Amino acid sequence: MPVGQPLAQPRDVVYIYDGSIPGFYSCVYKSVHARELPLAIFPRDRVQPTLWPQKPVDTDDASACRVRSAIFKKISPRALELSQNVLFSCMRQKEIHLLRFLLKGFSEGKKITNMLGDPDVAPLLRAESHLLRERHLLLGFVRFSDAGGALTATITPKNFILPYIAGHFASRFSGEDFLIYDKTHNAALIYQNGKKQIIKTDGFTPPDVSKKEAYYRSLWKQFYDTVAIAARDNPKCRMSHMPKRYWENMVEMQDQI
Amino acid sequence: MDLMQKLTLLTEGAKYDAACTSSGTERPGNSGLGSTLAAGCCHSFSADGRCVTLLKVLMTNSCIYDCRYCVNRRSNDIPRAAFLPDELADLTIEFYRRNYIEGLFLSSGVLKSPDHTMELLISVLSALRYKHDFWGYIHVKTIPGASPALISRLGHLADRISVNIELPSEESLKVLAPDKTKQSILTPMAQIASEIQSGSKELAHYKNAPRFAPAGQATQMIIGASPESDFQILKLSAGLYGKYKLKRVFYSAYIPAVQDSLLPSPDTKPPLLREHRFYQADWLMRYYKFDANEILSEKNPNFNPYLDPKANWAVGNIHLFPVDVNRASLKNLLRIPGVGPTGARRIVTARRTGALRFEDLKRMGIVLKRAQFFILASGYTPPLRMNRETTIRALIDPGVFSFGAEQLSFFAPGPLFLPGAGDVCCMDEAVKEAVSCLSASL
Repeated sequence: MPVGQPLAQPRDVVYIYDGSIPGFYSCVYKSVHARELPLAIFPRDRVQPTLWPQKPVDTDDASACRVRSAIFKKISPRALELSQNVLFSCMRQKEIHLLRFLLKGFSEGKKITNMLGDPDVAPLLRAESHLLRERHLLLGFVRFSDAGGALTATITPKNFILPYIAGHFASRFSGEDFLIYDKTHNAALIYQNGKKQIIKTDGFTPPDVSKKEAYYRSLWKQFYDTVAIAARDNPKCRMSHMPKRYWENMVEMQDQI
Repeated sequence: MDLMQKLTLLTEGAKYDAACTSSGTERPGNSGLGSTLAAGCCHSFSADGRCVTLLKVLMTNSCIYDCRYCVNRRSNDIPRAAFLPDELADLTIEFYRRNYIEGLFLSSGVLKSPDHTMELLISVLSALRYKHDFWGYIHVKTIPGASPALISRLGHLADRISVNIELPSEESLKVLAPDKTKQSILTPMAQIASEIQSGSKELAHYKNAPRFAPAGQATQMIIGASPESDFQILKLSAGLYGKYKLKRVFYSAYIPAVQDSLLPSPDTKPPLLREHRFYQADWLMRYYKFDANEILSEKNPNFNPYLDPKANWAVGNIHLFPVDVNRASLKNLLRIPGVGPTGARRIVTARRTGALRFEDLKRMGIVLKRAQFFILASGYTPPLRMNRETTIRALIDPGVFSFGAEQLSFFAPGPLFLPGAGDVCCMDEAVKEAVSCLSASL
């Protein structure tokens, strides 16, 4: 490679890929090899109309794999972790941000992930901590219903956090069968007979509420209402710890929306 | 009495306990039910903004003691109830399975005798651990006056065990909780501290030695029911952290629950701002390496209502600033108002890759509203360094006026006598007055 020449030069072109993770890494492969930096990268189902020529990028597992191992070896394991996290986050135009970060990483090496104030790095770290924070909140905010022994829950997170909460719930409820349906991303985490898997699904109808289930819900609601101290009432504080968008799936908050 | 009524009464009696954390021990799930997280996990937030993580209830609200500040005191005429051990264990399991809670926080009034009550608590905990194979978080309060053997058994079943110190001094204890003595509180505290320590020694030798309260011990005291100064109370907590290796000290603003000639009248508002200052100071001691004597002193024994303790320290030690973010040690970075442990660590990491400029700090998520007056960065010096008024305006805790004028009057009028929000017609004016008053006196 000629010294000093950037890995990719800005080009008026838009990449279109299939939205999968190997698909994105294929875009990185293509960008590095064609020595071009696209203006944007869109998943096929969310293409925004542009005047620029669009270039479809085929997903190729072999080149995706090469990119992954290049990130791991030439930048650092932490860079690979960061890019995986960002791909699951709800960051807008995450693909192009991530591509810029990776290209910079290939030339800077492993110190890139310590450059916390860099304009190409900082937004990714923000997206990552947004995802991890939402993950932590949902470990607590998931509400299961007991339907004949199996537990079911619905969540509506902004980030795709199912892979991040799967291990926690599988370890905590190892003897139970459960399902967590992510309404935002149309996916479900299913844990059955000690095995967990995440599947794409178009919808999920929660089972009818049994008498026993309704009883425990009312006990919980009663506990929740009683434990608050009226003299310290502070709805603003509650809202900042527990944003309103989570309330729709929480038994104790549903009547307050 | 049905379960719904019992739950209501026994939650009512337990809710004034401030502690509601599920942190301190990481235990992955096993073949049974449950696990714990080192960082703890909040499952909900009640209307007062406090975290709900554990099922916080009393075993019973009957009590043979007559502590004057307590809702459950013997002489208070309220309906009494008690859980059956199995009933409470089942309820905990059903809540836990639905992911409503992280575990159980069990405390109790004293029924018949301290030892009898302890036996009840132990029966709930052993039902949970051994009958239901439950390994979620359990925080339990020991009963003052219980025998050491029972405390030891309870501690081996729980994750965290605590003894409430209740009031910040022996004199107040004598007046307000005549059935409790300093000795009856500190003896079990010392026993727990030594069992925790010897437990971790045993563990070094035998991997499967039973653990005694792996999440440590905590305590709580009531703020505002007795006349101690803030400095006295803070010294007491510093001592507890040091001597008994406590994980947490909780401060609970006194909420008048009973009419009593020795207590603040029932229409007093709880001193929430003062309580808030205690938590801020407590954090400074635990995470910012501050010493109690740096936060308050004999000469300044009470918190400044307008400035948080860290800002107050910075204004009093202005000669140590500005701090160069590219050179200062982690310890000194933590002294900058507005920079916390996360921010300080980020600065230390990022400056290895090159000198940090003001824009870099901004992008890294360092909050600069207050820090900007106290730092040097590459190509940056603080604006208006000599202008005290601007600095103080930025430092004033915006929360102070939202707590209301009653809160400010809780602070003993010292040399720093400032107008409360009630005395002035609007927020802007209140801030203005406070600024001019503070910058003149500092």
